[in-house]
Amino acid sequence: MTDEKTMIQIKDLTRYYKSGMGVVKALDGVSLKIEKGEFIAIMGASGSGKTTMLRILGLLDKPTKGEYTINNLNVVHLPEEERSYYRLTQLGYVFQDYALINEMSASENVYILSLMEGKSKKESISTAHEALVNVGLGDKGKRIPDQLSGGEKQRVAVARAIAKKPKILFADEPCANLDTHTSEQVLDVFKILNEKFGQTIVMVTHEAWHTKYVSRVIKLRDGKIVGDLRRRKN
Amino acid sequence: MFDDIRVGILSAKSSIKRGNKKTLAFIIFVLALIFVNLLFLPSMIGGLMGMFTGFMQYPYGDIVVEPSGDNVYINNADNVLQKVRAVQDVTFATKRLDAGASIQYKQKVVGSSIIGILPSEEYGISNYPFIITEGEFLGDLSQDEIIIGAMLVEGYFGSEIYDNLGEIKVGSFVNVTYSNGVVRKYKVKGIMEGTFELVDLNALVHYKEIKDVFGVDEGKATSVVVRVKNPDDAAKVKEKIIAVGVKEPVFTADEKSDALMRQAMQSIGMINVVSKYVSLIIGAALILIIVYINVLNRKREIGILKAVGITPRSIVISYAFISMFYVSMGILAGLVLYFASMFYFTVNPVTFYDTITIIPEIQVGLLINSIFTMLIMSVIAVILPAWRVSKESILKAIWGR
Ligand SMILES: Nc1ncnc2c1ncn2[C@@H]1O[C@H](COP(=O)(O)OP(=O)(O)O)[C@@H](O)[C@H]1O
Ligand SMILES: [Mg+2]
Repeated sequence: MTDEKTMIQIKDLTRYYKSGMGVVKALDGVSLKIEKGEFIAIMGASGSGKTTMLRILGLLDKPTKGEYTINNLNVVHLPEEERSYYRLTQLGYVFQDYALINEMSASENVYILSLMEGKSKKESISTAHEALVNVGLGDKGKRIPDQLSGGEKQRVAVARAIAKKPKILFADEPCANLDTHTSEQVLDVFKILNEKFGQTIVMVTHEAWHTKYVSRVIKLRDGKIVGDLRRRKN
Repeated sequence: MFDDIRVGILSAKSSIKRGNKKTLAFIIFVLALIFVNLLFLPSMIGGLMGMFTGFMQYPYGDIVVEPSGDNVYINNADNVLQKVRAVQDVTFATKRLDAGASIQYKQKVVGSSIIGILPSEEYGISNYPFIITEGEFLGDLSQDEIIIGAMLVEGYFGSEIYDNLGEIKVGSFVNVTYSNGVVRKYKVKGIMEGTFELVDLNALVHYKEIKDVFGVDEGKATSVVVRVKNPDDAAKVKEKIIAVGVKEPVFTADEKSDALMRQAMQSIGMINVVSKYVSLIIGAALILIIVYINVLNRKREIGILKAVGITPRSIVISYAFISMFYVSMGILAGLVLYFASMFYFTVNPVTFYDTITIIPEIQVGLLINSIFTMLIMSVIAVILPAWRVSKESILKAIWGR
């Protein structure tokens, strides 16, 4: 049973992909409980199922089998429209490959979400600006993705996910294309969100030094959890 | 819904503003061609039909009054004329006396209709005064003078199809034997060419000639020909003419030409209608394909928008805006192209046999119709593909698997 403190609970979460040769068991019966306010790092070798797991948690994909509840709400069988609304209002997601709209400026990529939520254009733009400033791109809001470096695009993707201060933030290797300094900048933003606003954060990473920011590290191998380590906060 | 529209507009605007300009230009060009295709042939056929209508005006004007029953003549033509001229919207009216006759020049004889006209009145009625290619038109004092239709004269268009009188010149003399046996000798004053059998196989003389030949009184006529201010109102004016007490049968030129050229016009009209629908279907299919490809090309964007929580409705609205923008630009470009081509073909009309020229007709109704059809099509065409893609799984849309 879940209690007040539980944000996410998954049970026996399984995801198979049908591929040419047969079936890939990308996620193979994963059970996990995540509490409100946790900052989690998911680690594991390439191909271990990190992205697959995060997509399911972020309501971008559905498990082949297993249960998934957020705040006691079973989200696996929610109609697509409600899942979409949930993503918009409660979840933030940083894609491994940024997933920015190429024809939209950095600012537009970020503020379109607040518009969708029904905020005024003015308010949306200023929230977007704030988020871009937080990731160090305050002066590049007018640029389109083609005019940004890989690291800058990644930070726009981060800004898009954090601008609305989501209840849960998912980030798939958000620092993969960033140098140490910018990585720290982004991780500091995450940390502030986590500590000041109590946001739950689930981040995929493969850099050992990132773990000093988080409160818990989960290790995946071949679609299974092989390690779950709580750190004392410092 | 309001938020859906706001988001749809933002996404459409950025996509148009920063999308590939060459693709945009090409799409607009194709849409412009589709638009012109909807209009071009109907305009040419409209011109063709307008030309036929023009031909019908020689014998019938806009409205014609004919003898009642088996009568050969309208008995009180001057009285009819008086009544008709008093009717509102009637601009001109005249009487004519037609007769059958054979015309002889040297060894050659051909049968023909001779039309007795009041020359000065014809200026407001028919084109007869303006189609004299050789010599001059009749005058009010013309006596023993005749205008010969060009198809009766060797060397003119159509003369090889029918019996002709050989190489008549202005100033030649011909003998005309009327149906009652009276023979008159006339000097050819002019040759008229309307490039149409109903005109060019006939001959014109002064009204008085026929009156004298048949010994009828001043009031007799075989037809009273009427012109009105606006030919489109002919049917209404016809009712007014009947209302003021004209007892003889009254016909509009349309009614007359219907009887005469029903078949020809009908088949041309059929071609026109079929071609309109074919253009429409091809246009619709092309718009659908263009829009569909455009949507498929943006699958990834659609997937991303969905992934971050943008509603499928906003996405469909966005593509409806994009599609309407394309089509509006296509229509604008098409209008330029259309009017340019109409101008060109008006200045350089399509010509058959050197003499029949078709001047295209710009049909405002069809123009407005086509604009709305294209706009509506643009929206309908986009909804299905955009909806389908927006319903696809996010993973498939963004990463293709
Ligand atoms: N759409 C897919 N179709 C088939 N196989 C997939 C698909 N996505 C991922 N996989 C496979 O599932 C496994 C886990 O992938 P992924 O979750 O992306 O791993 P990670 O993010 O840890 O590198 C890999 O073997 C990968 O090749
Ligand atoms: Mg991955």
